[in-house]
Amino acid sequence: MNIQFKSIIELREMLDNKSISITELTQESFLLAKKYDELNCFVTMNEEVGQKKADAADSNNKNSSMLFGIPLAQKDLFCTENLRTTCSSKILSNFIPPYTATAVKKLEDAGSITIGKTNMDEFAMGSSNETSFFGNVHNPWKKGYVPGGSSGGSAAAVAAGIVPAATGTDTGGSIRQPAAHCGITGLKPTYGRVSRWGMIAFASSLDQAGPLARTAEDCAILLNSMSGYDSKDTTSLNSDVPDFLANINQPIDGLKIGIIKEFNLSDLDSEVQARFEESKKTYEKLGAKFIEVSLPNISASVPTYYSIAPAECSSNLSRFDGVRFGHRAKNTTDLNDLYIKSRSEGFGDEVKRRILIGTYALSAGYYDAYYKKAQQVRRLIKNDFDQVFQSVDVLMTPTSPNTAFEFGSKGTQNPVELYLEDLFTISSNLAGLPAISIPHGQVNSLPVGLQLIGNFLKEDQLLNTAHLFQKNSDFHLAQPSLEDFS
Amino acid sequence: MDQETVRTICYLARLEIDQKKSEKIQKDLETIVDLIGGLQNIDTSAIEPLYSPLEMTASIHEDIENSDNQKEKFLKNAPESNDDYFFVPRVVE
Repeated sequence: MNIQFKSIIELREMLDNKSISITELTQESFLLAKKYDELNCFVTMNEEVGQKKADAADSNNKNSSMLFGIPLAQKDLFCTENLRTTCSSKILSNFIPPYTATAVKKLEDAGSITIGKTNMDEFAMGSSNETSFFGNVHNPWKKGYVPGGSSGGSAAAVAAGIVPAATGTDTGGSIRQPAAHCGITGLKPTYGRVSRWGMIAFASSLDQAGPLARTAEDCAILLNSMSGYDSKDTTSLNSDVPDFLANINQPIDGLKIGIIKEFNLSDLDSEVQARFEESKKTYEKLGAKFIEVSLPNISASVPTYYSIAPAECSSNLSRFDGVRFGHRAKNTTDLNDLYIKSRSEGFGDEVKRRILIGTYALSAGYYDAYYKKAQQVRRLIKNDFDQVFQSVDVLMTPTSPNTAFEFGSKGTQNPVELYLEDLFTISSNLAGLPAISIPHGQVNSLPVGLQLIGNFLKEDQLLNTAHLFQKNSDFHLAQPSLEDFS
Repeated sequence: MDQETVRTICYLARLEIDQKKSEKIQKDLETIVDLIGGLQNIDTSAIEPLYSPLEMTASIHEDIENSDNQKEKFLKNAPESNDDYFFVPRVVE
């Protein structure tokens, strides 16, 4: 029974009409992971425990959840009890968490089967998955090309059809940009919608977990399980969680979509632009109206982010000291030497760069000029969003200015070159807003993504808007040939 | 950003930079500081910083015991420990 490239909804039907068992489905998923091993999507597999859970589920078929028996992959940034969790870093390469992250636990409680932990940029710091200690992930659409990042392994595993969906985290675009580069759908929820408990922190005021899947419908299914208040996360939102799947498929006649004037799309590759114009037409046919809006401070998003995120990272990553968990250097002279050597051996170059920038931005004499200043600009950016959401329902942008690029071709001489890739995605993290990326065609045989940004807690509207696009197009059904990988 | 500043930040962050890479790191940091320095041109007088998008006080809960002591489980990940403590190099002579 072929399960590759099937959506959750399709797999659900196959399980329900008994054309496949949970055990068989799980086996198939592990076989696909092995077949496409060369993609390097996974850091650690969960074969023994996963297969055991599948067998037990077949003999105790009681769960009515849509996710019951569905194989999923988890980004290796979520702690998973008794299953190695590395954040794709040498410093955590031997870490076996004593507990499971809330978001993953909720998905597992709904009956899904974790088949493995996916590769990522080290500590989620990167936009190309090239900073992983465990090596590059290939884009399933083209060998030797990046899948995007930081949730690159999750995006590639879904795009290659190994699993129907995976978890990711998004601090500045780390769900949406790899989803765009791999031709799948990825949603970053509102800050606080999904618990951050058990997620290894990068930048705590920006990090948010979310789903990567083949369709908006499948993202809704995962979000239904992942969302909700968690007393273990002090920034968890105590708000009602609608049924995201039930709210999908509403007409969007009269929906007001904002186009951001400050993002000068004429600077983009003409093909990327053309795709964007085509998608506008699709929405117009569905009854949406386009309005040009201005967010005067949005161009400051990249420098604002690259001050705040490293500052928070330098503070969060101070916990890795070689004492309680993780890598410890050998032959050290005293405690300070142990800290320095363990950290210097354990962290990769990009992580070190960000820790140093953050330490600088937070140090005496520079705090006001860099960190506080950035948080003030952040408020201006959020105010701009508050203003435009009074006149539009959603905002639409390309997800990324470019398609996936070749390994090593960007950011090696100048890190800022790669930071600018995040231009369209970063502002929704600064303002805490939900945003989704959906595939809307290809340029030079590589996928391009369309981003929709919604107002606070309006994931239902985003998913609905994305779903209607997918009902009226077939870009999300495109499949990579994978002939270079098997 | 001079070599001395880079050395100070490295020490504060408890990081050591490989001599071969130090020039490159210094250059990278300068480029990034230039990028974030661009914010200085934006007028933010009388603007309160936005430290979290939710702008709410972290929620608190009753101080009640809600799980068992899991010392053994947590000590398992320690690079060096005995049944009770994490081991580190001698701090007091």
